[in-house]
Formats: sequence, structure tokens, C-alpha cells
Amino acid sequence: MRINFWYISSLFISIFVIIPILTVFLSFFESTSNYYEILKDTFLFEYISNSIILLISVLLLTFLIGTGTAYLVSFYEFPLSNFFKWALILSFAVPPYIYAYSLTAFFENYGTAYSILKNLFGDKNYNLYIPKFDGMIGVILSLSFSLFAYVYILARASFLYQSQNFIDLGKNLGFTNFKTLYSIILPAARPAIVAGLSLVAMETLAEFGAVDFFSINTLTTGIYNSWITFDDLAFANQLSFFLLLFIFALFILENLSRNKAKYHFNAKGGFKQKQKLQLKRTKSIAAFLFCFLVFFLSFLFPLGQMLYWTIKFPENLFDLQIINLLSNTLYLVILSSFVLIIFSLISNYGNRVTKNKTLNILSTLSISGYAIPGVILAVAFITFIAWFDESVVKNLGLFSIKKIFIGSILGLVLVYFVRFYSLAFNGIKSGYEKINISVDESSYLLGYSKRKTFMNIHIPFLRNSLLFVCILISLEIIRELPITLILRPFNFETFATTAYISASEDLLEAAAVPSLFLILIATSFIIVTSKYILRDNNE
Amino acid sequence: MRKNGEITRKISIFALIASLFASSVVMANEVNVFNARHYKADGELYSKFTNMTGIKVNLINGKSGALEKRILSEGADSSADLYITADAGRCGAMDAKGALQSGLTSAAIKDAVPKTFRTNKWVGIAKRARIIYYSPERVTGAELSGMTYEGLADPKWKGRLVIRKSSNIYNKSLVASLIKNNGKKATAEWAEGVVANMARTPTGNDRAQIMAVAAGEADIAVANTYYLALMLSGKKGPEQQEAAKKVKAFFPNQGDRGTHMNISCAALVKGAPNKTNAIKLVEFLLTPESQEHYVNNTFEFPMIDNVSANPLVVNNIGLDFKQDLKTKVSSYGAKQADALEVMTAAGWK
Repeated sequence: MRINFWYISSLFISIFVIIPILTVFLSFFESTSNYYEILKDTFLFEYISNSIILLISVLLLTFLIGTGTAYLVSFYEFPLSNFFKWALILSFAVPPYIYAYSLTAFFENYGTAYSILKNLFGDKNYNLYIPKFDGMIGVILSLSFSLFAYVYILARASFLYQSQNFIDLGKNLGFTNFKTLYSIILPAARPAIVAGLSLVAMETLAEFGAVDFFSINTLTTGIYNSWITFDDLAFANQLSFFLLLFIFALFILENLSRNKAKYHFNAKGGFKQKQKLQLKRTKSIAAFLFCFLVFFLSFLFPLGQMLYWTIKFPENLFDLQIINLLSNTLYLVILSSFVLIIFSLISNYGNRVTKNKTLNILSTLSISGYAIPGVILAVAFITFIAWFDESVVKNLGLFSIKKIFIGSILGLVLVYFVRFYSLAFNGIKSGYEKINISVDESSYLLGYSKRKTFMNIHIPFLRNSLLFVCILISLEIIRELPITLILRPFNFETFATTAYISASEDLLEAAAVPSLFLILIATSFIIVTSKYILRDNNE
Repeated sequence: MRKNGEITRKISIFALIASLFASSVVMANEVNVFNARHYKADGELYSKFTNMTGIKVNLINGKSGALEKRILSEGADSSADLYITADAGRCGAMDAKGALQSGLTSAAIKDAVPKTFRTNKWVGIAKRARIIYYSPERVTGAELSGMTYEGLADPKWKGRLVIRKSSNIYNKSLVASLIKNNGKKATAEWAEGVVANMARTPTGNDRAQIMAVAAGEADIAVANTYYLALMLSGKKGPEQQEAAKKVKAFFPNQGDRGTHMNISCAALVKGAPNKTNAIKLVEFLLTPESQEHYVNNTFEFPMIDNVSANPLVVNNIGLDFKQDLKTKVSSYGAKQADALEVMTAAGWK
């Protein structure tokens, strides 16, 4: 084993990311206070059962919507099928909490639905006939419509490289289209679909904004509340432990299926490019309607509702310092992407050149940060800094470091780093896997140093992966809520925090303007880069 | 050329790294406010204060719980000067944790604010009452006569009552005041009665409760005073204005201790780096001009005597009612955890 710059820096990065994760794990063994013992049991049961109900329902819905639309646009021609192909990923631009605001705004008593009915059919009390999508159902819908795109993208990518032979096989066996889908296409795409679903599951378990808005207690909001309401960090940590068990199971599942998915994707060579089937009249209308409905509900509906409110209450538009919010949001996006990419590159390269087992295990552990809800990471970070400051820094007689880390851009970027490190690390890793190790060896033979190999050979090769990672991180940070909320400095707001603050103060109309801008920015990001997200020409 | 490019690159990287630390640079004449009240009117008042005094108001907005945690974790090194929140219980709780210091003792403050609504460490800046709203079509005067908070558990309201979730801070403070007055055991029974009377599983904010009565989902609702005025003002659109006209306000407990009052409070944080400026800001918020600004925009009740509530409040909700000045607002904080326990045990979602 050789100790060098690359080894040390990769080691350092991994350890840095693991610390907060370990903090959460280790404090599980602290005893909790006896106070509110009965209450805790009641809550624990409620949190766990709510989390399970939410998880199962969202998985089921995202599976149906995600694979359903992916199947239609990958195998069939119907009106606008090429438009839906990329339009369906626009739902990524609408975070669950903004979806939740839209649902409430539309369906509440005297809400938008009421106004529409009143304008169409005259004065009458329609409120009692309008369904109310709040509480658990509200959360399930909000999460499903904004997360199904994970399943859609991965399922579609898998369908795209499925051999035409499979479809022909179904035909030869005399299967109906449905039977072909059910017994041949879906099983073949299973690893990709499972990978998509496990991403949905992690996002669902980590969700804060929408769940908080509808006051549904899940493990994640429970952890936050027990920290805040009961001052009981130990109970919060116990809940975190249960949550981590959930997540750990998902993580293993995802990793297993990812390996299979990779195998599957690589097996595409030698198959003929399949022709899309032209659908007959009724069926083609049905396919169009299904895709349009999903597109409408997942994107047009929240966009429309936010736009309607912005127009209806225009004074909110003028009250907002849009330039300021925009520059804050972009500042965080650029800074964090930059830091994340630089360090992920270094640690990936370190792993590549040192081939060290310990380092490999540490890197694998460190990417689990993505699975830990942002709100918990933020809490763990504050706890850790406060402890470190009190017990180490002060004893050394140094100035307090709290202000440097809590309520500063530095602290914010550090916690973003822990949370989104796996996105960057894995994205770059998958790019690296395509560069054969013999390329490195040839480079050394030509007399290139490690640094030169990295700068002049790897970086250009990795350009597409880097761009893709950039988009993912940007979209995550534009909509990130709990970490920004807890750790941001004075006078520093983003579109996401402004929307959340207004909504929590019963000023949902005022939340519409920042929400609208958030959707528009994310949408433009997605449109500009859709070809990288869809990866149609995956080389 | 190439060399130049490299230098530019190095400089920009350096600038990026330097900007990471830029936020920790401290400005001179300022006051740092941890703010859990996010009304537009508040922001306008802070700008006005800056224009008048040259003192910059730095804001960190958030929900009360998260802000408190940050102040507590930062401890003696906290940059917080003032903590402003919309519930007396929260200021009391912060005091109990030793996070506040005394200093709000100037004559300007003492003369302006009644004793019930202040201590040396925190002071009320605006008032609200938590009252009952009813549908005049479906609730008779006889039914309401002598109505109290305790009466919300009366079986005659079965399936007719809406109220927010138990996790809501206004409910916690209301129930805390009931525990303070009637004891925990009686309040536990009361909570069960209330849950039995609910027309639906609690959902939505205070305004949603009022709209549920207007829409016919329920006959009575519990909500704060300023919401109805806000809806009547038309600021929430014509639909809500129309809805607000279908409900009437009722002040409970007029025959005994009076209607439950709560305040927004400003608390002086221990170790405040800009203590003098913080006190100046509090004094400014209690001037008649600032109080006027509050009452006409947030529709709260004024904290000081010589300012009148907004006409929408005066005409539709009323001012001529007995306030509960007996139950100290500072007790809300101490009983809030008990309140949550009582509500949860009763199955109040």
C-alpha cells in the first residue's frame, strides 16, 4: 500500500462524510428520559405505521405511473408520444411540498375548484361536493406525482435497450400485449424498476416539506419533533435508528439491483433497434389520455395553480426580491456543485489508483449520506459542532468555532456535501467505470504523472458524467428545504425557504410566487439538459 | 496568454473559497433577530426602524422550534439578539432554559405594556384572542349563551366542532391555560369530550377551520381573532371574503376568567452582542406608529392602550370583551408539554 496525496485526501473525504452518519448511529445507545414514556410508545407506533403506509402507497403509485408511461412511450407511437417522452420528466421540477400547496389551494373550501364551479354554474355552496385531498392522501399524491419520474427514467432506459426479440417472442407465443408486458418486458426490466423504486423510497422516507405541511407524523418528522418538542435528542436518535434500518434494507436492495441493472444495460449490443408500434385509434387515444393525464397532474396542475395565484395576488410578486433570491439560489447551486464535484473526483481517482480495500469500504459507507434525511443531518451537524466546540476547542483555549460553521454558507455547503456526496460520487464512478484501466497504464508508460493523467486524460473522458452529476445536484439544491432552513445565515433566503416560510404562516398565496419561480428555474434546467437525463444515446 | 488564464483561474478559485467565509464577517451597527413571525408588516417595520436609526436589522426566519434550538446550540456564542415569536409559551420556555437575559426594563417598555404581558426578559408586542366562530344559521343564541372553552366538550356539539391539530402551538397554549385553571385530570377528560365532538379529523390551519364552518362542514370552530378580519379584508380574495361573512365571532368564558389571550413576544437573548440596539428595536415596536401598523396589517390587537384595533376587527369581532388577565401567559410555556400529552392521550390528531 502506498501512502500518497490521493490516498490521504480520499480517506479524509470519506471520513468527513461518515462522521455525522456515525453520530446518528452511535447515539442510539444513549438512554432516553423516562418522562412521557407512554406518549413515546404511542408516537413510535404512529410514526412507524404512517411511514409504512406512506411508503407502500407511494411505491405502488409511482410504479404504476412510472412504468405505465415508460412502457407506452418506449414501445408505441401515438399522438405526442415523442413530446411526452421528455415532458414527463418535467415533474422533477415540482418538489413535493409545492405539489402539496397546489392540492390544498385547489381543493380547499372556497379554493380554486370552488371558484371554477361558481363561475361555470353560478352561486351555490359547492364546498361539500369537492373532495378534500389533505392529510395522508394529500401526502401520498404529492410524493407520487413528483417522484414517479425516477421510475419513469430508469424503466424507460431499460425498455429502450430491450431487444425487439422479446416483443417478437411474445407475439410468437400468441401473448396479448398485456401478457407480453407482464411476463416478458417487466421481468426483464425489473432491476432498473427496482432501482427507481428504491430511490423513490429513500426520498419518501426523507421527505420533510410536504409531510410537515399536512402535519402527518412519519419517522422523519417525528425525529425532528421529538428533538424540538420534547428536547429529547436520545428519542430522536432512537427514531433515527429505526429509520436507518428501513433505509439500510432499501440500500442493500438498491445496490443489488443496480449491479444487475448494469449487467443488463451492457448486454444491449447485437440486438436490433426496435421499431415502435403504431397504436390503433381507440388504443392510441387511451395511451395519449393516460400520458396527458399524468403530465397534466404532475406538472401543468401545480404550475397552473401557482401561476393563477401569482396573477390573482400580484402584490406578492412585487414584494419579493426576486433578483436576490435568484442569486442566492444560484450561488448555492454553483458553489455546492463545484465543491462536490472536485472532491468526488479526487476520491474516485484515489480509489482508482490506490486500489485499497479499507478505502473502498469507507467510500461505500460514506455514500449512504443520501439516504439520511436532510433534517437529521442538519441536527447531527449542529450537535456535533456544539459538542466539538465545548469539549475540544474551548479546552484548547481557542476561539469558538460555532459561528464559522452554524449559520454560515460554509456550514450549509458542508452539510449539502454530506447529503449529496453519493450523487456526485456514484455519478462520477459510473463514468470512470467506462474508462479502461489500461488507459491509465498507457498514460504512465508515456511518462505522464498521476496528476497529468487525471487532468489531461480522465477529466475530458468524464465530461458527460460530470455534466449529468451537475444537473442532479443543481435540481436537488434548488428544492432542498430542511438543511437550508436550519443552517442558513442571516438575511439569506432561497426560493425554497421563502415558499416554506410563507406557507407555514398561513400565507399560501404568498408562497405561490417563490414556488412558481422555483418551478420555472428547475424546468429550464431540465429542458436544457433533458438529453443527458434521458440518456437516449447512452454510449 | 495561457499563464494569464491560469492566474484568472486561480484567482476565481480563491475568490470562491474566500466567499465561503465571507458570511462570518461581522458588521457594526446592527441587531440580529431570530424571527418566527413572518408577516409582511413586520418586515416593513424593520425597514422603517433601519431608516430611522441607521441600525441594520438582520433576520433569520424560521419556525419557532428550529430557531430556539439554534440559539440554544450556539449557547453563549449565539449571534442572536432578539427572538421574536407568535406565542407567549415559547418565550416562557426559552426563559426556563436560561437562554434569556433581563434588560427590557426601560420606562418606555414598562409604561407601554401591562404587567401580565411582560417580564424583564421578554415583552408582548401584539395580542390575539383564541375564540369561537359559529354559523348563525345553524347555531342559536340559546345554545351559545354562557359558552366557555370547557363547554366545547359538551355532547350537544357532537359532530359539529372543528379545531386544528394538537401539534399546533395555539392549541397547545389554549390547552395549557385550561390545565393551569382546571388541572390536568379534568383537562384530560375535557380533551376526550372535544375529540368526540369533532366533525372531522383535524386538518388545515385556523382559516381552514373558519371556512369549514362557512362551507357547512361544521357549526362551530376554534381559531384566532385576526383570521376573520384578514378574510373580511379581501386580502385573501373574494371567495374567502364571502365565506367570512357567513360566520360570526363569539368570546367564550365571559362569565368567569375571560377569553384566552395570547401574545407575540420579543425576548432578549443571553449574550446578545447588540443588546442596546435590541432594546431600541423593542421600544420602536411598541411606539403608537408601529402598533398602528400591526393592527392595520395583521389585524392583531394592539399591545398598548392608546391605539385602537382595526375597524374590521372592531365591527366584526368586537373589542368589548373580558380578557383573561388572570392566567399568566408565562404559564403557557410550562404546561405546553402536559397539554400535548393530554391531547395525544385523548386521540386528538
